[in-house]
Amino acid sequence: MASPAQQLPPGWAAQWDPNNQRYLFIETASGHSQWEVPGAPQGGQPVPDQPPASPAPGGPHNPRRRQYAAGQTQAYYGGETAVDPTYGTSTLVPPPTTGAPAPGPVAGGPQFFTPGLDNQQYGGAPVPAPGTGISGGGGAPGVPSYYGPGADQQQQVHQHDYINGPAYGQPQPPQPSFTPGGGSVDALTGQFGALGLAGQKAFQLYTTNLLTSPPEPRELLRPPPEIRLPPNSCVSPAATANADPSYQRSTLNAIPTTSSLLSKSKVPLALVITPYRSVKEGEEQVPLVTDTVIARCRRCRAYINPYVQFIDGGNRWRCCICNMSNEVPQLFDWDQARNQPGDRWARAELNHSVVEFVAPSEYMVRPPQPAAYVFLIDVSHTAVQSGMVATATRTLLENLERIPDEEDRTKVSIICYDTSLYFFSIAPGATDSTMLVVSDIEDVFLPKPSDLLVNLAEARSSLEGLLGRVHDMFQENSIIGNALGPALQAAFKLLSPIGGKIVALSSSLPTLGAGALKNREDPKILGTAKESGLLQAASPFYKTFAIDCSRAQISVDMFLFSAAYQDVASLACLPHYTSGQTYYYPAFNAARSEDAQKFAREFGEVLAMPIMLEAVMRVRASRGLRMSSFHGNFFVRSTDLLAMPAVPQDQSYAIEVQIEETITSPFVVFQTAVLHTTCYSERRIRVITLALPTTTNLSEVFASADQIALATLFANKAVERSLTHKLEDARDFTFQKLVELLVAYKNSMTSGGAGASAQLAISENMKMLPVLVLGLLKNVGIRQSAQIPPDIRAYSQALLTSLPSQLLIPYIYPTFYALHSMPAEAGTVGEHGVIMPPPLPSTSERLERHGLFLIEDGQTLFLWVGRDAVPQLVLDVFNLPSYEVLRGGKTTLPVLDNPFSQRVYAVIEKVREMRRGVYYPHLYVVKEDGEPPLRLWALSALIQDRADVLPSYQQFLQSLKEKVNGVGGY
Amino acid sequence: MGPLAWLYLFSILVSAGFLFCTVYFIIMFSDLESDYVNPIDLCSRLNPLVVPEHGAHAVMTTLFVLSGQWVAILLNAPLVAFNVNKILKKGHVYDPTEIFRTVERHKMEVYIKLAFYLVMFFWYLYSFIAVLVAEGG
Ligand SMILES: [Zn+2]
Repeated sequence: MASPAQQLPPGWAAQWDPNNQRYLFIETASGHSQWEVPGAPQGGQPVPDQPPASPAPGGPHNPRRRQYAAGQTQAYYGGETAVDPTYGTSTLVPPPTTGAPAPGPVAGGPQFFTPGLDNQQYGGAPVPAPGTGISGGGGAPGVPSYYGPGADQQQQVHQHDYINGPAYGQPQPPQPSFTPGGGSVDALTGQFGALGLAGQKAFQLYTTNLLTSPPEPRELLRPPPEIRLPPNSCVSPAATANADPSYQRSTLNAIPTTSSLLSKSKVPLALVITPYRSVKEGEEQVPLVTDTVIARCRRCRAYINPYVQFIDGGNRWRCCICNMSNEVPQLFDWDQARNQPGDRWARAELNHSVVEFVAPSEYMVRPPQPAAYVFLIDVSHTAVQSGMVATATRTLLENLERIPDEEDRTKVSIICYDTSLYFFSIAPGATDSTMLVVSDIEDVFLPKPSDLLVNLAEARSSLEGLLGRVHDMFQENSIIGNALGPALQAAFKLLSPIGGKIVALSSSLPTLGAGALKNREDPKILGTAKESGLLQAASPFYKTFAIDCSRAQISVDMFLFSAAYQDVASLACLPHYTSGQTYYYPAFNAARSEDAQKFAREFGEVLAMPIMLEAVMRVRASRGLRMSSFHGNFFVRSTDLLAMPAVPQDQSYAIEVQIEETITSPFVVFQTAVLHTTCYSERRIRVITLALPTTTNLSEVFASADQIALATLFANKAVERSLTHKLEDARDFTFQKLVELLVAYKNSMTSGGAGASAQLAISENMKMLPVLVLGLLKNVGIRQSAQIPPDIRAYSQALLTSLPSQLLIPYIYPTFYALHSMPAEAGTVGEHGVIMPPPLPSTSERLERHGLFLIEDGQTLFLWVGRDAVPQLVLDVFNLPSYEVLRGGKTTLPVLDNPFSQRVYAVIEKVREMRRGVYYPHLYVVKEDGEPPLRLWALSALIQDRADVLPSYQQFLQSLKEKVNGVGGY
Repeated sequence: MGPLAWLYLFSILVSAGFLFCTVYFIIMFSDLESDYVNPIDLCSRLNPLVVPEHGAHAVMTTLFVLSGQWVAILLNAPLVAFNVNKILKKGHVYDPTEIFRTVERHKMEVYIKLAFYLVMFFWYLYSFIAVLVAEGG
């Protein structure tokens, strides 16, 4: 692909977005970004003299942003970088000649950052820009060696000159004061552009009229509004000094100083945290501090981070959360590995916002426990017949070696159950196992005190033999009934001394012993106010047992397979309160290879997942901020302590934040600490620090709102509300929140003020919020319908409250691609992997009768085939002679010997693997004139359409507008 | 002392018990908020008290009904209705998984009850004396 850098007007930068496989164009003065190639400066605003096409701010989305050299950034970013706090990095790099803000396009040099290119090409490359005297900074970004305590004072002084230097004007107060409203926004944008070169840029507010600007799916891939910290707030030049949004993001990237300002904006303040997100190949690992020198604040117990201030000649540090002055630990500047004085500024915790400490024994209540897994396998008639037992045991067998077990300490036990419990005892050194049957399920006991929970490495061969036999053993089982509760109790007895994970696989409703449930599904109450009762636990067992588990450091994962009602809502309580996860395969039938493949794949990933054990999580925040309520899979053990017996990867938590008192500091810090034991038995603390500027300006509050985080919060709140109140209340509540936000925006940010307006205004950065809210209101977990089985709803709610934003956003706003007309390069392997076609707005208006479309929400893929699809297309993709012989339903797509088939296949596989998480979505072929249920299901994913009683996007906007004008008129 | 006087004396004692009980609830809730007690312990300590409290109140009200004390019945009926409604909806058990979200509501409820029991305590005292005086007269 030709680099578009040359065609860019001055003041614009192009940045490759690997997620989206296209360039994102960024106006460097304002941070405004767009997908279209800028022909002229947008909106006719004056563009200040800017450095040319520069490596654009590696949007925090870009996992490879650290691949371009710090020096490179510096060279091209010129003066801009120095004052742009995202690049806090460069403030410490000795500056180029400060009087040369625009080095001009550099001919010949690599002007353009291409993330796919090899690092070496840039790393340490001579800086091509004239007048940029970078010394020693040309290497890979990280900590410049020249910046040491006490050393190079001159450079530090220099650095201050750089920031306050006359070329950049006087440092501006953090918030340029201006009165929002009455068209002044536009008038001021130019001024803001000019201020862009000052000490701290103000957020620029762009107002959009929702009625005239349809949703653009690519907007969702954009990084959140930039975090613009005041200069010198960070001790590190590293780009990693502030948290990546995939770990921790806030609904507002500029925190209002008072709660009245916050409530005036009506934007809810919350954090969305994914502390243990998976790290894909090529992404940066979380750095580990191994010397057990952990500097913590004496008063608030916060961990040292890049936002503390060193005072008293570097002997003390001032806590950025409570302002306490603390001593720097003696060994802080000592390199224990080499036994020599070390470089403080190279310490990971001062350069990385996400860091892990190896914890000394003070952080342990008991020695770190080995990872332990108990597998509960339903072997009743239903389970065996569905092929679940065979698939599960085979997957377990194949993945035994993937279960984390580096130290050979991991313990495993397998318990089968129907109406009795079948234990398997493996004596040390034995190569075989003995089955022990316990039929007394009213008062569960362990048939043997030992040899039931065995060491995985030692008992490997016996386990393999056992797993190979389980299916045959129960093949003829005709027992119908399910003693899941007693099986869980038995697993609890096994695990309670050490803690660990229970993985329960169940094919039917639990009918016996503790936790027995009744079929309470009643089609008559679906769609009524009573429906939310079906989404709550039917038996107190699932809460009390969950709490017992949480206390004993046991986490439960549920794999559910039933074709009939299984009461997912009750069963999902266990994972919910023990920080596990629910996986649901309705009407699982291993005879369909797609079912078997999906389950085997996901189960395998769960087995291989390196989990955190015995974890507790706490979020600390600067004075004036308080964590007020918590959403996600955990148990709230005290006002701010979340107990998580085992933390799976890629699970997200939302925490609402209250502003309790006026904040006086220019920036605030949120610090999440997860004390845990790795599955390799090491006690560690993962610390995630997010620093955000504060603001007194309402327009900055709006301009800094992160629509992705807001949608994630709304999803959590809506589910909570549907359980405590009614589903209808949840929908009304969510809709009302959006209306309030729009009213607040209209009244304070548009010229119309409180009067009726023909527009529906919102800031550019929240443009997608209404469509995301609509998607949420139309999601299976929330939407108004009398047709949704309660199990499906409950599972969907479990997903809505645990998926990280990256998976949640497509789940509420499915992605829609046209495959028949995709660009020639889509589906081929580019320098950044498979190139994806451009996503379309999620509406059936875009469906064409001869087309082939893909609709995906991260959990399901629909391949839509139009009724007039040409035989050649059907032949190319499905290897079938015509549309008529094509059958709809779950499919495995063949790879055929033609380029189109391979491209379609590549796109589908890319969709399946491009996001984090264990999910392997099913592929359904949907024929335009095929079976109505499948067709309607696929169409319901196109959420901008009208469906039954649910409004189209246009209708939704109209009702929003009516509400906004109605409320505003008072 | 006639049966009516005994009834009011009984009510005074029961009300005093309620007062102690309510104060204990308040202390426990504020302990929870300052992390002196965890939600599991809190619920396991408070839950056993809830039904006996409601039961004692219902018994007391029943005695008033049997003895035809209309004013006392009218005063106590709303609380009985409230309690019965809560038990029917299974909302009387404190749930440790939800307690942090609902603690404000519980506290409010307990404060109102405290005020109610206090007023009732003095009203029973007054009625007791009134009955004694009437008997004496
Ligand atoms: Zn502190």
